[in-house]
Amino acid sequence: MQDFFELIVSGFASGCLYSLMGLSFLLVMRPTGVVNFAVGQYAMLGGFAAVAVMTTILIPPIALPYVPGLLVVLALMALLGAAVEWIAVKPLVDRGAPPVASMLSLLGVLIVLLEVGARFGGTEALPTEPPFGFRRVEFGPFAGTPQSLFTIAVTLVIFAAVWLFFERTLWGRAFEAVSLDRRAAQLMGVNLRLVTVSAFASSAVVAGLVGVLISGTTGAYYQVGMALTVQGFTALVVGGVGRVDGALLGGVLLGLLEALVMRYLPVSSSMTLAVPLVVLLAFLVLRPHGLLANRGGH
Amino acid sequence: MKSFLTLLAALLALCALGFLLGSYESDVYRKLLLWIALGLSFNFLFGISGQVAFSHFVFLGFGAYWVAISLVHWDLPLAVAIASGLLVAAVAAAMIAIPSTRLEGPYLALATLALGQLFLLGIASGRDLTGGDSGLGGYSLPPILGFTVKGPWYTACIVLMLGLTYVILDRLDRSSFGRACRAIRDNQTAAQAMGINAPRTKVIAFTITSVLASLAGIFYAFVDNLVAPGAFSLESMFILLFMVIVGGTGRQLGAIIGVVVLYMAPFFIEPLIGHYHFMAFGALVVILIIYKPNGLVSMFDPILKRRRMAALEKAQL
Repeated sequence: MQDFFELIVSGFASGCLYSLMGLSFLLVMRPTGVVNFAVGQYAMLGGFAAVAVMTTILIPPIALPYVPGLLVVLALMALLGAAVEWIAVKPLVDRGAPPVASMLSLLGVLIVLLEVGARFGGTEALPTEPPFGFRRVEFGPFAGTPQSLFTIAVTLVIFAAVWLFFERTLWGRAFEAVSLDRRAAQLMGVNLRLVTVSAFASSAVVAGLVGVLISGTTGAYYQVGMALTVQGFTALVVGGVGRVDGALLGGVLLGLLEALVMRYLPVSSSMTLAVPLVVLLAFLVLRPHGLLANRGGH
Repeated sequence: MKSFLTLLAALLALCALGFLLGSYESDVYRKLLLWIALGLSFNFLFGISGQVAFSHFVFLGFGAYWVAISLVHWDLPLAVAIASGLLVAAVAAAMIAIPSTRLEGPYLALATLALGQLFLLGIASGRDLTGGDSGLGGYSLPPILGFTVKGPWYTACIVLMLGLTYVILDRLDRSSFGRACRAIRDNQTAAQAMGINAPRTKVIAFTITSVLASLAGIFYAFVDNLVAPGAFSLESMFILLFMVIVGGTGRQLGAIIGVVVLYMAPFFIEPLIGHYHFMAFGALVVILIIYKPNGLVSMFDPILKRRRMAALEKAQL
């Protein structure tokens, strides 16, 4: 039974990562209507950046402590997200091309980022020490690594902040207005450029954070991107596309399901990705609107 | 009649080229021909019917594995293996297409991507049936009507398959069905208002192009006499997508140009930039979507237009 509760904690933690990936999709999808499959590669690069900045492995002279290192990585990710928007999306939006053109050009970006990551970090998984040590934290029947608990806490804080931002601040309402009607929002004085750039930048920051968190448990690896893209998108589809709370719910459910299936069903560990793949297909076919109803307007 | 003769001459030239090449070159050449066939059918699915589907390599792999497994494990005659493979591919494609036509753009993309990944996982864990990661080999093309087909003669078979693919897709493209596909791609609501049955059209387009991919897969199985999961990876699928975009989405000639350029590019740029060609493809796609959304084929448009005008003038005289 103790084993079960530990499983819940670790499944919840990996579910939080999927929720954050879903959020990364959502931050761009809501205001711009563009689906950016390259978010998984942001996470991969974030992981390598964390290894480079915080340890002596990739860039030996630099080894920052965790918090400054994290801030440096997230700042780099924001720059990357803004640059991607400026290079691969803005010219298309200016021309009035449909969102699918942006999606395809971002697939080109995906491959560029994947290859850059593979050249920079190598094709072997880089082992990293967990930043909070190997201890075991117990509370009641639950127990988990400090890394899992940190991941869960960070995720909940981010989702609370994003929710507050969208619901309670003028800026957040501007994002909402853009997602409802770009033209009308622009006529009401919303700065479309600023909203779009900050959407892409914040999406990259959130995905980069996932990479940093993952690099603390399983290490940085150049192929995590596609899996995280699938898991994040599945989280969105399960929860209900277009909803911030849906991403959180969907990701956590997916993480728990994945943990339970891998533990109690006789499947080999190479089949881990099959769980989100099957869930994704099942939801797209049977319940494309997800568990939570759509908020309308999309 | 004239276009038929042009096609016949082109196919004969492609066959003749097969007899001139050495063994390494003809291996490269056969794969190029198969990529062109795949590019043509994917162009119809993605470029003309507007379905961003990542399942094309699943059907290629399905065809290849079906034939290999039929010969190795089931001892089926070749004709039965091919016919049953195409039939099962058609049924599977329709079964996949019927629920997926409800999905749009990115949802279809991710659903078919998931399908592709599941297919790869299935192959990799298929043990003896599929040979796992190392693949399935140890078979060869059985004699056809008593003749052992090999070398350039097999290349000629692939050319024949390519010609068949081209003719089928060209006929479809020029028919009312092709126009219906384009209408749905450009504006589904408007197309339905004009009385086009959008779901049915999409399912038919998906099924036909997927069966053509399986047909290419059947021919692929005998190129190396080995089928392994590596050939059907997501990377290949991305390259196929990039080929069609680079060449010119929605045009047969564009697909051919895109496949030839991107397939041959690594042979020429490898000495210059090393193993960075995949990265270069990604960058090229971004640049072309932004600056030349109609692809490389659009560079020839002024010439094609001039020729057409000249032909028109001649006809008027």
